[in-house]
Amino acid sequence: MIISRAENGSSLILSLEGRLDTNAAPELEKAIFDSLDGINELTLDLEKLDYISSSGLRVLLLAEKEMEKRDGMRLINVCEPIMDIFEVTGFVEILTID
Amino acid sequence: MALTAIPLTGRIDSNNAQAAEAFIRASIGENADAELTLDAAGLEYISSAGLRVLLRLKKEHPALSVINVSSEIYEILDMTGFTELLTVEKAYRTISIEGCEQIGRGANGAVYRMDDDNVVKVYNDPEALDDIKSEREKAKLALVLGLPTAISYEVVKVGESYGSVFELLNARSFSSILANQPDKFGWCAAEFTSLLKKIHSVVVPEGKLPRIKDTALLWAEQTKPLLPAEEGEKLVELIHSLPDDPHMIHGDYHTKNIMLQNDEVLLIDMDTLSVGDPIFELAQIFNSFIGFHELYPEGIKAFQGFDIETGKRFFGEFMKEYLDTECETKLNEVVDKARIIGYSRLISRLVRHKELDSERGRAESAHWLSELAELLRGAKTLKFSPNELIIPAERRCLPEVLLFIDERIGKMAPSDKARMQLAVAAEEIFVNISDYAYAPGHGTAKVVIFADCENKTVTVSFEDEGAPFDPLKKEDPDVGLPLSERTPGGLGIFLTKKLTDEVGYEFRDGKNILTFLKKL
Repeated sequence: MIISRAENGSSLILSLEGRLDTNAAPELEKAIFDSLDGINELTLDLEKLDYISSSGLRVLLLAEKEMEKRDGMRLINVCEPIMDIFEVTGFVEILTID
Repeated sequence: MALTAIPLTGRIDSNNAQAAEAFIRASIGENADAELTLDAAGLEYISSAGLRVLLRLKKEHPALSVINVSSEIYEILDMTGFTELLTVEKAYRTISIEGCEQIGRGANGAVYRMDDDNVVKVYNDPEALDDIKSEREKAKLALVLGLPTAISYEVVKVGESYGSVFELLNARSFSSILANQPDKFGWCAAEFTSLLKKIHSVVVPEGKLPRIKDTALLWAEQTKPLLPAEEGEKLVELIHSLPDDPHMIHGDYHTKNIMLQNDEVLLIDMDTLSVGDPIFELAQIFNSFIGFHELYPEGIKAFQGFDIETGKRFFGEFMKEYLDTECETKLNEVVDKARIIGYSRLISRLVRHKELDSERGRAESAHWLSELAELLRGAKTLKFSPNELIIPAERRCLPEVLLFIDERIGKMAPSDKARMQLAVAAEEIFVNISDYAYAPGHGTAKVVIFADCENKTVTVSFEDEGAPFDPLKKEDPDVGLPLSERTPGGLGIFLTKKLTDEVGYEFRDGKNILTFLKKL
């Protein structure tokens, strides 16, 4: 998975590309939690993400819980197959998805 | 007791048939029960009166044969049905192959181009007439069973040996194409593979062709005394326990024996046709491109016209296409099985040719024996299935597992969503096995896939040999809880259940087996 970042003051955008599977999840977890100093808003751009499994969901839940204490996290450009996974797991109710 | 052949000369018709018969009877003399052979080298014509003489002789000498029959006389005998009644051997035209280009080479001989339209396969063994007949029978059988091959139309004398002549226009071997047109590499590999798959799909009527397993058991018996006792036993046992398989095996399938004639791909060497498990064929193909040349790689250039690197690359590409996978673990599994038979064959060849004591033979046998012993220690069976993957139960192997599954459903053209859901379902199970079935790095998982193209479903099962554990028993998480009450994790098996149409678990023969079915 490729993670690219764009920071603007207290807001951070991480763009994810490829597959967020068991082997990529720790990488994303580290990328998010190592970058949160001074960040209030986190945006995850999933336009180029085409796969997510339960390990990825775990990282999203951890990030959501952390960002809830700040100004929040939102997901943008979610493709249909991944949206489906969010629906099955109830993540559509707990994540902010644009 | 056989008599010297009695010569027939000139014309035999109603004018002299009686005299000819008297001459033959006088030559037989007292040896009334002997096998009778008539030499027709000098015979120019035979009428029905002459044929009646042959019939009378046949009654008294059931083993009557006529040899050195010219094409003209043969035609008469053939038209009148006498070729069915008597043993008739044609006279052989003598040709020379001096200055002819060698275009192919098989187990029993070499193929030369005679002119633009014709090639001749010259047999190594001077007593090759039986081999020639047997190859012609095999080629006929292959043609009838739907394989593209050339059938010889004439047998000729070549020096002290025999050859069979084929029509082969404008043809080049795949070896020559590979050596001279590197841009055709992919095309050659694809055609080479698809023709082999066609051969391997042919079911041969019982008894029509020899079983290659019997030959492989001879190789194994010859190799066995040179191996450590345990490995020697295992080699024989592994080959012995391969089930009988009625599918056709070419037996000498390499790029010199595949020709491109105009736009048609043709097989030219049919004397090693047999039936058996395809692993025997893969073993021989491994030997042709790699095994045989492992210690002396310059040999392949002299034989095939291309270098060892091209040979290795071609074999690698062939295996990927034959097994329809890019999965390294799968490819290595099958190649290792092929190498076991391949090395055994190479070692037994050194034994038969009494080359074990030459400098080269010593070096090669030491190398092949050590590779073989090592492979045998890790081997459980020589059988392989394109739909099974045995892989270390470790997270690092996940991409290979998912690739393998995805490749097997490729031809069903599933949607992106279905592909992802199938992969997620499989990932959750494989990761579960990797994390919990064994101590880290201490076990394997087996993935078995059945893609049902007709009903558009795929069934995947995962087996491990860890302690009995039914992951389906775990209670499903409550996905309706608010964020504050949700805890990370616990979604894996739940996803597998949700993303598939049926899922089941059983513990059988010491194995955890988890199977799911998904409609695509």
